[in-house]
Amino acid sequence: MKNSPVAVITGGSRGLGYALARALACAGYSLVIDGRDEAALRAAAATLTTGPGTGTSAAREPAGADGPVIALPGDIADPAHRAELRAAAVALGGASLLVNNAGTLGASPLPALADYPVDALRDALEVNVLAPVALTQLLLPDLRRAGGAVLCVTSDAAVEAYAGWGGYGAAKAALEQACNVLAAEESAVRVWWVDPGDLRTDLHQQAFPGEDISDRPLPAAVTPGFLRLISERMPSGRYRAAELMPAGTRVSEAPA
Amino acid sequence: MTVDFALPAAREAHEPPEARSSGRDDVALMVSRRRAAQISHHAFADLPGLLLPGDLILVNTSGTLPAAVAAGGGLTVHFSTAMPDGDWLIELRAAHGSTTIPHGGGAPGQRLDLPGGARLLLTARFTARLWRARLSTAVVPYLLRHGVPIRYSYVQRSWPAQAYQTVFAGRPGSAEMPSASRPFTPQIVTRLVARGITIAPLTLHTGVSSLEGDEDPYPEYYEVPPMTARLVNLTRRSGGRVIAAGTTVVRALESAAGPDGTVTAAAGWTELVVTPGTGVRAIDGLLTGLHEPRSSHLQMLAAFAAEDLLTRCYAAALDRGYLWHEFGDVHLLLP
Repeated sequence: MKNSPVAVITGGSRGLGYALARALACAGYSLVIDGRDEAALRAAAATLTTGPGTGTSAAREPAGADGPVIALPGDIADPAHRAELRAAAVALGGASLLVNNAGTLGASPLPALADYPVDALRDALEVNVLAPVALTQLLLPDLRRAGGAVLCVTSDAAVEAYAGWGGYGAAKAALEQACNVLAAEESAVRVWWVDPGDLRTDLHQQAFPGEDISDRPLPAAVTPGFLRLISERMPSGRYRAAELMPAGTRVSEAPA
Repeated sequence: MTVDFALPAAREAHEPPEARSSGRDDVALMVSRRRAAQISHHAFADLPGLLLPGDLILVNTSGTLPAAVAAGGGLTVHFSTAMPDGDWLIELRAAHGSTTIPHGGGAPGQRLDLPGGARLLLTARFTARLWRARLSTAVVPYLLRHGVPIRYSYVQRSWPAQAYQTVFAGRPGSAEMPSASRPFTPQIVTRLVARGITIAPLTLHTGVSSLEGDEDPYPEYYEVPPMTARLVNLTRRSGGRVIAAGTTVVRALESAAGPDGTVTAAAGWTELVVTPGTGVRAIDGLLTGLHEPRSSHLQMLAAFAAEDLLTRCYAAALDRGYLWHEFGDVHLLLP
């Protein structure tokens, strides 16, 4: 029996992480997912295995995971939790894909750098840079062996100067450069850092508290682009999810 | 293997020809001849002189529905195709700023609130892009009241519903305009008739343009009336040529053709995809728009012209500034 490939996805209980978990489950991956909110994580794992989308007929795309889904509540900034994630992936056969998706916005509402609480800044760097780098270090031996890949979720705030986004943006810029160097160092592993664009997620809502963000696309809208990156094993580098949408994708105007 | 090229944005028709030039017939017409392996360039108004008395043009009389509806939760629904059991194939689109892109989500049993108190129940995923869905009210009257024409973003502003109907349009049922016959005007039809060229109707309700991408085909409803079948058979027996105005016409007529090319009246849902492998049995020529790279429409064109001729056609079209898409220029593939 051929073992299904194993993906570790951080922040898999909601938002983009959950959408990616679903897409990868449909693509035949076994999953290790984590999240800090245990109840949300359990609920997500339950729908990933049975699927809200389990088709009854005419479904050409399995909506629930065929392989196992292991859900581990915890904080990626905690070394013991990171070790748990790796152990779970090893138990499934070893990770061939790491999706560093979990992140924190930092302070909300977004303060100007002049007033940015340094503790919140430290937290943003801890969760958005140090934790994913540390988890990548931990999984690299498995990823090298599998000829695998690391996918880091980044943001246009890493390269554009948006007022208020100094903490998050600086952290994502650091993560991007870490990816850039990792790609140069690790010839056996693909490293992608992907800007998903503005999405309708909790994190985006925190950035715009009280604002209506329903004009932003749902995370599932961009997952086909991520899947293409993985299935075509595209070269290491920075990508924007919108550019990765499969050929023939037409953009249409929303009805007024 | 298909013709591949990059389509620059400047080669996309951003508005109807009547808005950028003198009328809907004011488009360019490229003619390619398979046996001679020749390409020539004309105006669409030259069409009567490029065909011969005794030729038969088949046109799709399906009218275009205003098939796009805003749903709750930032989603847009594109109604594609009525199914035999009353379900419709629909495409879910997610808001992306003021535009929409394919929505990867949705779940069987999910209900969407649509304007006017209608509810749409997703019953099952049908292809990677399409869902089977059931609306709480009759779909066509609902769309005529609440829908707007599907508009892809290369068309820069909205145009009245009339811009999306061909001169032959009858009963509405298409999600997108069968656009190959859009340049026909009453004047051109009159000149064709005066030259002894016949025009006969059939119907194929065309779905959303998934076939422009590398995607699974899906069924579409079609009708070939008895008189049209007789005219096709008569034309073939008497040495005339059968010219399909549009890829939709090819799909419908080939679905109604027997192995020897004899056409019988037919109606139903067709899943036929015409390729060089299937060939064409009842049709000699094709009038069509310019198609996107790698699309299955290009595969169909390859059933009418050798690949090297098609490659030259598309290179010439790019070089000469032909315009793509439903408001663009046209290409006549002759034997």
